[in-house]
Amino acid sequence: MDIVAQTIVSGILIGAVYGLAALGLSLAFGVLRVLNVAHGELIMVGGYATFFMFSLLGIDPFVSAVVVFALLMLMGLVLHWLLFAHIVRSNEASRIKNSLLIGFGLTLILHTAAVRLFSADNRTIFTAYSTLAWTVGSVRLPVVKLAGLAIAILAAVMLDLFQTRTTWGKALRATSEDWTIAALTGINVQRAYLVSFALAAGLAGLTGVLISVGFSINPSIGLQWTLKALIVVVLAGLGSVRGTLLAGILLGVAEAISSLHLGGEYREIVGLVIFLIFLSFRPQGLFGVAHA
Amino acid sequence: MLTVNSLQVAYGDIQVVWDVSFEVPERAIVTLLGPNGAGKSTTLRALMGLLPVKGGRATFAGRSLIGRSTHDIVQSGLVLIPESRATFSTLTILDNLYLGASTARARPHRDATLHQVFQIFPILKERQTQPAGTLSGGERQMLAIGKALMARPDLLMLDEPSLGLAPLVIERIFEVIEQIRQKGVSILLVEQNAQLALETAEYGYIINLGRIVREGPTADLMEDPLVKEAYLSF
Repeated sequence: MDIVAQTIVSGILIGAVYGLAALGLSLAFGVLRVLNVAHGELIMVGGYATFFMFSLLGIDPFVSAVVVFALLMLMGLVLHWLLFAHIVRSNEASRIKNSLLIGFGLTLILHTAAVRLFSADNRTIFTAYSTLAWTVGSVRLPVVKLAGLAIAILAAVMLDLFQTRTTWGKALRATSEDWTIAALTGINVQRAYLVSFALAAGLAGLTGVLISVGFSINPSIGLQWTLKALIVVVLAGLGSVRGTLLAGILLGVAEAISSLHLGGEYREIVGLVIFLIFLSFRPQGLFGVAHA
Repeated sequence: MLTVNSLQVAYGDIQVVWDVSFEVPERAIVTLLGPNGAGKSTTLRALMGLLPVKGGRATFAGRSLIGRSTHDIVQSGLVLIPESRATFSTLTILDNLYLGASTARARPHRDATLHQVFQIFPILKERQTQPAGTLSGGERQMLAIGKALMARPDLLMLDEPSLGLAPLVIERIFEVIEQIRQKGVSILLVEQNAQLALETAEYGYIINLGRIVREGPTADLMEDPLVKEAYLSF
């Protein structure tokens, strides 16, 4: 029984990071209708930024989270302006295709640059509190991962409040529902795209912080995180922030339980099976808003 | 106020609008009539900057419309209600109306305009916290008009406002259009319902296969044999 409880808790803790990784991908896909396959590479960059701020400057990773979020937002602004702003001017069918090409190109560039600059070694941040854990009954709760869960929930709540309470957030939702009508309403659609892309990059950066402190980073983690985020987006459906975080946690738990019963080598398969089942039978996802 | 000269619009290689010229003077109510596929909606979308213009000129309030972004055109006072019930179904009615006042010209007057819109359509006030997706077709058209008014237009273009609505609702919508005009807003009415459009407007243009084929005061158009045969024969 104890091992089951521990497994579920570990699943929740990693699942929160999956959810956070998916929030940004979902936002960019929902509003811009582009699939940024380099999302995982932005996560990787966020991880390295946290790592070097810690190892070179001694800044605590949970303090640098704010800086990394801002830094990646800035990087998102630049990438949007340089690359994605051009594709969102075309029709929606070619947007996806072109964004895949640009995303894969970006993936290669960022991956190669990271290998050159940072070497291919695995890096993890060890702080004074890295090994601290609370024990509840027989379940061990590592403090850093709990903090990660808290940050993921906080980010989801903030994003949800932004989208439901602020004028800018509502303009993003309007644009994601129908950009033509949004433009005719007087909304600056290009600005909505820019804000969404920058926010998505910022959220990727934040995910990188959690991975560098709770898990480990190397230049090749990008694809696996893009894939996890994509599975979560398909599982959750578009348009629900809370649903996305919850779907991330569900994936984490499903993976953890399957590795307990089937062995660790099946861990990756579970997500892909969920992905295929949902694409085939429930393409709008668990919490998705079905659009006409 | 709005002057269009020899406008040409194409979707890629397929040209839909070949030679469209018309004018909407200040405080006027003008109609653009024509069958399905004549190029009416294409003309309107091109004027709003949603489609590239291939040739010709279009000016509104003294400024060219060509090459400008849609929100900038809305900001200058030209607003289009497209035929597809232009509301955001996942947002509440109130949020839809607030977003209607997104431009700098409309934002400072947001609450005052909202008050006026609620006076015209009390049903929107009653249901302001509901998602727009829960409204009926007629109510959604009222919301679309309300949202367009929130932008404080000088010229309001309506694309097929009667499409798919019950006769009583259509009557109410056209009363409101008349009311809006009396407040000093010019109207360009694009319709397939020719009878209704000719009764409402003062001046009309007939468009077919991407070209203007007739124009004149609506009273004359109603007597025109071509118009009678093609549009009023039912």
